[in-house]
Amino acid sequence: MSNKQHHPNLLSQGVFIFVYLAVLTALEFFVAVTFNSVVILVAVAVIKAALVLWYYMHVNKLSAGDESNHESYAYKSGTNRLGLWLFLVSDSFVFGGLMVMRLSLLGMTRPDLSQTLGFFVTAVLLISSFFMNRGEVELHNGNRKGFLQNTMITFVLGLFFLLGVILVEWHTVPAIAEPILHLFGEPEGKTLLKASSGPAGAAFFMMTGMHAFHVLTGLILLLIVWINGKKGLYDEKQYPVEAAAVYWHFIDVVWIFFYPALYLIGTAV
Amino acid sequence: MKNNTLGRAFLLLVIAGAVGYGIGLGIDFAIRGELKLTASVPSAFALLFGFTAFFFGLYGYRGITRGLVFQVAGTVIGAVLVTGIRALMGLESVGAFLFTEPAWVFGALVGVISFFFGVGVMTDWVKWARGIDTPDHHEDEPGWQKYFGVSLDHKVIGIQYTVTALFLLAVGGTFALIFRTELAASGLDFLTLNLDVFNQNGPQLYNTLMSLHGMIMIVSILLGISGIMNYVVPLLVGAHDMAFPRMNAFAFWVAVPASVLLLLALILGGFDTGWTGYPPLSSRAPLGVQMFFLGVFTAGWSSILGALNVIATVVRMRAKGMTAMRMPILVWASVATSIIALTATQLIGLSFQLVMFQRLFGMGFFDPGKGGNPVLFQHLFWFYSHPAVYVFVLPGLGVISELLPVFVRKPLFGYRWVAMSSLGIALVGFVVWAHHMFTSGMNEYLRVPFMYSTMLVAVPTGVKFFSWVATIWGGKIETPTPMLFVLGSIVVFLLGGVTGPPNAMVALDLHLHDTYWVVGHFHDTIFGGFVFPFFAAIYYWFPKATGRKMNEFWGKVHFWLMTPSFFALTLGMMFIGLRGMRRRIVDYDPALGFDGAHLFLTVCAFLIAISILIFFINFFRSIKHGEPATGNAWNSRSPEWQVPSPMPAHNYEVPFEVVGEPYDYGLPGSKFVEFAAKTAGKH
Repeated sequence: MSNKQHHPNLLSQGVFIFVYLAVLTALEFFVAVTFNSVVILVAVAVIKAALVLWYYMHVNKLSAGDESNHESYAYKSGTNRLGLWLFLVSDSFVFGGLMVMRLSLLGMTRPDLSQTLGFFVTAVLLISSFFMNRGEVELHNGNRKGFLQNTMITFVLGLFFLLGVILVEWHTVPAIAEPILHLFGEPEGKTLLKASSGPAGAAFFMMTGMHAFHVLTGLILLLIVWINGKKGLYDEKQYPVEAAAVYWHFIDVVWIFFYPALYLIGTAV
Repeated sequence: MKNNTLGRAFLLLVIAGAVGYGIGLGIDFAIRGELKLTASVPSAFALLFGFTAFFFGLYGYRGITRGLVFQVAGTVIGAVLVTGIRALMGLESVGAFLFTEPAWVFGALVGVISFFFGVGVMTDWVKWARGIDTPDHHEDEPGWQKYFGVSLDHKVIGIQYTVTALFLLAVGGTFALIFRTELAASGLDFLTLNLDVFNQNGPQLYNTLMSLHGMIMIVSILLGISGIMNYVVPLLVGAHDMAFPRMNAFAFWVAVPASVLLLLALILGGFDTGWTGYPPLSSRAPLGVQMFFLGVFTAGWSSILGALNVIATVVRMRAKGMTAMRMPILVWASVATSIIALTATQLIGLSFQLVMFQRLFGMGFFDPGKGGNPVLFQHLFWFYSHPAVYVFVLPGLGVISELLPVFVRKPLFGYRWVAMSSLGIALVGFVVWAHHMFTSGMNEYLRVPFMYSTMLVAVPTGVKFFSWVATIWGGKIETPTPMLFVLGSIVVFLLGGVTGPPNAMVALDLHLHDTYWVVGHFHDTIFGGFVFPFFAAIYYWFPKATGRKMNEFWGKVHFWLMTPSFFALTLGMMFIGLRGMRRRIVDYDPALGFDGAHLFLTVCAFLIAISILIFFINFFRSIKHGEPATGNAWNSRSPEWQVPSPMPAHNYEVPFEVVGEPYDYGLPGSKFVEFAAKTAGKH
């Protein structure tokens, strides 16, 4: 049974958390360009991740749940929820390994990337997570139209992020990349980072590549959930939406750590 | 299975293999202009055509056959696509093996994914994505056919895993017999420099066989433990199936394309790095190493997803009254194993992926010339590969703890301690990895903490040994074949375990590293922690799966032939290792005086192989001709033995409740589980 009561506090909670995350990101950027304290940057990243894990990903839902009827949808969703979180724990080890690789090879140096572009794509991803949360809450409140709208906005923003990284930051299509980078204030004729240009290139492309792969699969999941949601499949049985949202926020959490690791911490080489 | 079906399948194997070989030979001749009978491309075609035809003859165009056809098609399409793009970009588009390396890698990946669609393991998920609901259970067809296609029943999947594991055991073992024959005498006997098979000379072929022996055995072990856990865990916790049956099927079927890739590694030029695949050597190795990397990467998915399933099942699907401390001990072992497999496996995938990308795109992760660090690979690699050995042995040690009480009619001593020891081994196992790297050139100060942590892991392991001794003490011991293998496991693993600490001591390891001492140590621990318990588990649960017992006499012959031969093998390896016999070499100096010892080792290896052949014959014959055993064959308190054999399709038609301790053998009137009262009219 879907809960038709309106919970305005969940929607405004989403707004508050987004504002906190935005402020923290701005702080992060500011700290990076002024006195570049690794400790503060790591602390800010941890706080951001914790906020997303608790408020967007509802990690506390793991311990909740109806234990009495093992055949109920609620119980089966609880099992699926555990399965998803186990998968995310496993996936975290990939990203953890990539971080180890980056720290081992680059230490306190970092690739020389466009800060403006980095901040821009980060903002896009963060905003997409806000709309995903909003969409999930709308569905929970029984508003299918609101759910569809917000999910579509999430999809479009996610696509923007993907293109921003793959087309522009990776410079795969110079015709598009160059004007945008120029717009963001990058100097002309700057040596481009290539996959084969040393450890900085290797780390950058592998980290953003693995992350982008997850963004791509996340977009596919969002599309599936949007199309099926339009048919009304999730009006009652809402777990798939929760799953897509949790996966999407996980991608955000990974970026919360990858962004400072690639753009903010250390000196550019 | 009717004899003419099997005969027809073999006939098709031969015919299609020959046809494929001919086609491959033609293509090879067209590309390279010379006719070489032992070239790679003809053999690759022969292998793929032959296997596909075999399954077609056996089973028709569905399930595994369709999967293989899709895999071949997918590989070709993917490779042709990359070849086309490269040609358009003006890059080299033909390689020594018809396609270039990038084309083979991309093609192989597409092939693996195509296999999943072909075998039918994605069907339900695709339906869900399209918004179509599917029934929870799928009825399996009766008879042996269901094992060659997608089944959602954990018992079928458990048997699929087990039989595939046994098949890979035979393949990996055959590779060992080949190079053990070469090693029996010094000098290159048949793996000579003028040999030219699959684009490899004798020593190169040795390197490939040696490397694949390691990895195929590792995959066999991972499939074997998945077989045990998948078959037994739902039965032990009282569930009707695993938490995620479709993912269970997927995790099994992943193993087939992965195995195809590993065999392709042999044919597409081989590789010389050993199963550890270290760069810079793996950076320069022949194409076979990419098939190796991709095959292992794929097989890893099986481990990870299987582990996920086990944890979710144990947490969410236990019977009423089954608190954590009343779970059968094998369930604890399975959970500990799964915690490792779920997490650490990603690191071997990552480390291999990084080398693959280094080869394909010049990304300098481990290339010192580009600012990379080869020792970084070893850290990433061993961060998985050490905990992996605990994945190998924890289920087996759990089997020992599970079976001992049944055969000594006494409770398991120190149940809580044993349960916690599995978790303890898993935990400590995560912080010992660099003991594989004492000679790697890593910072010397790192040797000390890893030496201490390695010594520490012996403590929870010791807890298990003391529990086993105390459990057996004063018990009413019976020794049918499963119990023989349990006792054998304990003794063999003890020997393997005590040869661990010498390796842990840095001062000793600097001399023992890369010698046959290490080879002796790990074969010992693997046989004791996995192989012997695996056989014990099969002999023990065979009646549960089939309603018949395996032949007791031949089971004893298997045990009494394998065990002394194995002891001789492992002690012999340690003997020459201590005297300086190096690992991973195809030949050795006759002046070392190891010829006699090596001949001895080869004889032992063949004796072990014969014992396993006896086991295979026993296994397959007993399915139809074994002594009927439809009741509680071992007089066990465990829930699965309280219902008739073979196990009903959905396990427990009537659910049970846990009302006592699992191992209170000998306590009058005590019960572990009680089944709910049958509803009226259920006769």
